[in-house]
Amino acid sequence: MKLVRYAKKLSLLMLCSAAALGTTAWAAPAETGARTLSALSVKAGVDAKSPGAAVWKQAPVTQVDLQPAFPGHPSIVGTPATHRLTAQAVQAGDMLYVRLRWTDKTANTDMADTDRFLDQVAVQFPLSGEVTTTPFMGDGNNPVNIWHWFADGRTENLFAQGFGTATPVASKELTSSHARNGDGWDVVLARPLVVKSDEGVVLNGRKSVPVAFAAWDGAGQERDGFKAVTLEWWQLQF
Amino acid sequence: MSQRQLAYVFDLNKCIGCHTCTMACKQLWTNRKGREYMYWNNVETRPGMGYPKNWEQKGGGFKDGVIRTDGKIPPMADYGGVWEYNTADVLLKGKGDQVVPHEKPTYGPNWDEDEGTGQFPNNHYFYMPRICNHCSNPACLAACPRKAIYKREEDGLVVVDQERCRGYRYCVKACPYGKVYFNLQTGKSEKCIGCYPRVEKGEVPACVKQCSGRIRFWGYRDDKDGPIYKLVDKWKIALPLHAEYGTEPNVFYVPPINVTPPPFEEDGRLKDEPRIPIADIEALFGPRTKEALATLGREMQKRREAKPSELTDILIGYTNKDRYGI
Repeated sequence: MKLVRYAKKLSLLMLCSAAALGTTAWAAPAETGARTLSALSVKAGVDAKSPGAAVWKQAPVTQVDLQPAFPGHPSIVGTPATHRLTAQAVQAGDMLYVRLRWTDKTANTDMADTDRFLDQVAVQFPLSGEVTTTPFMGDGNNPVNIWHWFADGRTENLFAQGFGTATPVASKELTSSHARNGDGWDVVLARPLVVKSDEGVVLNGRKSVPVAFAAWDGAGQERDGFKAVTLEWWQLQF
Repeated sequence: MSQRQLAYVFDLNKCIGCHTCTMACKQLWTNRKGREYMYWNNVETRPGMGYPKNWEQKGGGFKDGVIRTDGKIPPMADYGGVWEYNTADVLLKGKGDQVVPHEKPTYGPNWDEDEGTGQFPNNHYFYMPRICNHCSNPACLAACPRKAIYKREEDGLVVVDQERCRGYRYCVKACPYGKVYFNLQTGKSEKCIGCYPRVEKGEVPACVKQCSGRIRFWGYRDDKDGPIYKLVDKWKIALPLHAEYGTEPNVFYVPPINVTPPPFEEDGRLKDEPRIPIADIEALFGPRTKEALATLGREMQKRREAKPSELTDILIGYTNKDRYGI
């Protein structure tokens, strides 16, 4: 089939492009302090669950620029609407909280129609904790763990090993809360640092871990690889 | 490419627009669990807007072998609502005197039934049943980044793996026939499954079995003794719908001929031309339409002259075995 040949060519092109990017895109930030998100460490039990919790006034605020994701498939076309999000992190005892804020004037909170899509945001970690994993959804040997929030209130714990492979893995440990913040979203994702290794990335005993971000604007029918992302790993420092 | 390919032929000259096929499918597959609005099988009046509304303008398919990304995801308004009727209140409890839907319908399958086109007495229409074409080059399959859609190796039926699907709806965009549907309850896409659970038990699809006009022929494309091969490849009178979309459909249509009498002249005599303009039929079934209609006309004429015709015998389809080998 012609299309299969086209898809194979595209895959090859993507691999070449990824390889070309590899030396810079997948490596740790060249400059110390660049692309770094510092977690505020507080004692166990401090409330950080909700976007309005007082602790977020103390946590360092980092601006994260987003770019259109590399299209992993011929179906994925369009320019995503989100250009930037604001990230914060709090470590409270053995819990990690990540707060993300971004501008999105239309709140797409339910799939009320067949052509509607939800606003979404996600945080991605290499399962190995190493920057050698590609930030483009990982690959067959280097999976990623994704914490995915949907504007209808669902939170999904996903594993992926390359484009088109995101697979939900049940986890009661990953939770979220959200609020509208003026003309945007304010979302907190929360999970214990330690979970079973088949349930997600293990984050304890580390000074830092690579992290990546993605946002989708439901109003523009953004979903899947039609998204705004960080094209390189950031470092979440504990 | 699958090892074998199941295919269908619908003879539009025999369709009476009774919708029994639609009801068979509805009762079996789509009357529950978020599928209520879906009509995997529908019968639409041509010319007309069809189902979903104006599907021929929705985009999708292939251009020069490359998948088109300009397709539209039809909103619910293009399918029509799921109407609940106050039947029990009116008929059993005596409340009110009119059975009505719970909301005002604004569109639905076969919304423009029997309207057709043209001015009386020369107006015309015909019925066209539609299901998933179980294409050999399915745009829905090509469009899915997750490889959630596949062709069954044993029979070529195109199905959506409900475990892999994540509801991205690229397939809904890509199918130029508007035959992939999004289930709002499950958040996943669904479509005609060719009644594969019946097929696996040696039974034909429900829409085929229940067709009261006996317009539907079914079987493997490579079965040279079966009706599909004979109508599509031997007699070449069954044509794919909108082959230009590039998906290689496996539902073929015998185009309509003489389903209505010729049009009237000003003086009341009958014109020596078909009532349905050939260009309208060619727009659906392509440049081989004239040749197919000529063959069909020639064989029908033989029969009128009491001469034998293998083709008309096949199209009559005297028994179930004749029409689908079972």
